Amino acid sequence: METFDIRRKGDAIRAAQAGAYDQLPVFDPEMELADRERIEALQLEKLKRQVRYTYERVPYYRDLMDASGVSPDDIRELEDIRSLPFTDKTALRETYPYGMFAVSLDDVREIHASSGTTGTPIVVGYTDADMDVWSDCIARLVQMAGVVPQDNAQMAFGYGMFTGGFGLHYGLQKLGCTMIPAGSGNTERHIKMIEDYGTTVLIATPSYAMHICEVGEQLGYDWEASPLRVGLFGGEPCPPGLKAEIERRMHIVCTDNYGLTEVMGPGVSGECLASRNQQHIAEDHFLWEVVDPVTGEPVAEGEQGELVLTPLDKQAIPVLRYRTHDLTRVTKEPCPCGRTHARMDKVRARSDDMLIIRGTNVFPSQIEDVLTKVDEVTPHYRIIVETKDGMDALTVQTEIRPDSFSDSFEEMDAMRRRIEEKLKGVLLVGVKVQLVEPGGIERALGKAKHVDDRR
Amino acid sequence: MAVRQISAFLQSRPGHLARILQVLESANVSVKGYSISDTGDYGIGRFIVDDPDAAIRALEDEGVAHAETDVLCVYLEDVPGELARVMKLIAEYGINVSYSYSLISTYIAVKTDDIERAAAALAASPLTIADQEDLGRASGRMGA
Repeated sequence: METFDIRRKGDAIRAAQAGAYDQLPVFDPEMELADRERIEALQLEKLKRQVRYTYERVPYYRDLMDASGVSPDDIRELEDIRSLPFTDKTALRETYPYGMFAVSLDDVREIHASSGTTGTPIVVGYTDADMDVWSDCIARLVQMAGVVPQDNAQMAFGYGMFTGGFGLHYGLQKLGCTMIPAGSGNTERHIKMIEDYGTTVLIATPSYAMHICEVGEQLGYDWEASPLRVGLFGGEPCPPGLKAEIERRMHIVCTDNYGLTEVMGPGVSGECLASRNQQHIAEDHFLWEVVDPVTGEPVAEGEQGELVLTPLDKQAIPVLRYRTHDLTRVTKEPCPCGRTHARMDKVRARSDDMLIIRGTNVFPSQIEDVLTKVDEVTPHYRIIVETKDGMDALTVQTEIRPDSFSDSFEEMDAMRRRIEEKLKGVLLVGVKVQLVEPGGIERALGKAKHVDDRR
Repeated sequence: MAVRQISAFLQSRPGHLARILQVLESANVSVKGYSISDTGDYGIGRFIVDDPDAAIRALEDEGVAHAETDVLCVYLEDVPGELARVMKLIAEYGINVSYSYSLISTYIAVKTDDIERAAAALAASPLTIADQEDLGRASGRMGA
C-alpha cells in the first residue's frame, strides 16, 4: 500500500481517499476505537456517578429532582436519564454567576463565559480535571484533521472569555504543537506570520479564514506554496460549500468541531477525514440524546431532532440534559476511519434560529445551501426580514462574483430572478434577491451574523 | 472601429461610484464619457476611457465586478439636427440602439447589436467614427 507523509500538504486527504486510515493519527486509540459495549458500559458508570455528584452538590438540581420524585438511585440504565429534568440557558442565567457551581472557586482553575449578546452571560468554570478532559477532547479532534505534535498552530480566534481560543490552545499544546497566539484581527499580519513563522495550522472561524484567503490573494500571497496545511474551524457553523472553497483556494484541509460553552466549549465532537459532513461525539465524556424540540420526547434513532447533552465528567459546573437547540441526527454506524464513537450530522439549523415568514418555517441554512450551489455568487449572504404593508418580507443579499457581472440589465436581472426562483423552490415562500458587489457583505471576525430581523 | 466600453456593477449606496472613479484615477485613466443607470437596488456604470487596458487591470486588482463591451463612437458636428441624423441613419438600416450617451466634446457612444453594420452605415454618410486612439488624443476642447 502507498505510504503517505501527512506532514506534507494534501497527504492527509490523499490517505483518506485511498482508505489508508491506519496512516492517519488517532490521539487516544484505546478510547476512540473502543467497542460500543465498552463505551456504553463506561457511560452508564459515569452517568450514575455524575447524577449523584450533581444531586449532592448543586441545590438547583437537588430541588428539581426532589420535586419530581427522582433520586440518583433511580439511574440504573442509560435510558433512565429520561427521568431527569432538562436544563436550558435560563437556569444558567438565573444563577449567574456561580449558582450552578459544584465546587468552591478555590478548586476552579479557569472561568469562561458565553458572549452574552442575547442577555446575561453564562459563566462556566473548569477544575484541573475539567481542563484535562477539555484539552483531551481537542487533541482528539485536531488529530482527526491530521495535525501532529510537530505542527505550528496559529490562533486567529480572540482569546478572552470565549471558550474557543483557550480551548483549542490547550488542546493543541497537549498534543505537543507550538502555539502562535496571534489572536483575532489584523489580517495582513496573520498572513505575514503564517509565512515568517512557518505556520502549518490555522484556527479561525470559517468566514474569517475565507477573509484571510481573499486578503492573501489580493496581496499576491501564494497559498499553494504557503507552509499552511490545516484549517481548524469553529465558532460558527461551516457551510460545506464555503469549506470546499477555502480548501481549494488555500490548498489546505479544513475540519470543524462542535461544542458549546454550557457543556464545555469546543471539542464535544469533531470531523474526521472519512465523514466530512459529520462529527464524532466524545462519547466517553458526553451522553447524547436527540429529542423532538417541541415535546422533548426522544426521536427514532437516526431521525433529526434537538441535541441534548449531558457531560459525564464535569466537576466545576455539572449540567444534566442540556437543551442545545441545535438540530441534528446521530448515527452509531461504524465509521471508515475506525472510530467507534457516534457521529452527529453537522449542525446546520437551530430550533431557535428558525424564522417564521408568513407562517412558513425558514432556516438560514436552507438559503445558504441554495446560494452555495449558484456559481455566479459567493457564499456570503445576509437575510433581511421586514414588515411591508403588514406582511413579512424576506430579502436575501448575495454578492456577485467579479466575473459574473454583465453589462446588460436583462442578463443581470435574469440571474437575480433565477436565484429567486431557486430559493422559492426550497423555502416555499416568496423572496427578493438583492445583488451586492463582491466583498459587499461584511466579513465576521467572530460568529457571522446572517440574519437582520427588523420586524 | 469599435471602442471598448467598460461597465462596472454599482451598488446603490453612497460612495460606491466615487470609489470606482478613484480606482480609475489612481491608474491614471482619463474618463472620456460615462453613463449611469439603475434599477433601484443596483446599477451599471458605463465608461469610455483613454486606456481600457489600464482601467481593467485596476478594476480587477480592486475586485470590482466589471465587463467589457464594444460600442460605436461617433464624432458629431455641433449643429442642430446632427444627433437626429445619426439615429435616423442607424434606424434606416434596421439596427436597434440599446443605449447611447454623449462623451466629451460632441462625441457620442452608441451600443447596438450590430456595431459593424452601424459603423459602415454612418461612415458612408459621411460621419467620423472615432477609434480608441482618436479618443486618447481628444481633450475636452478638441473638435468643439
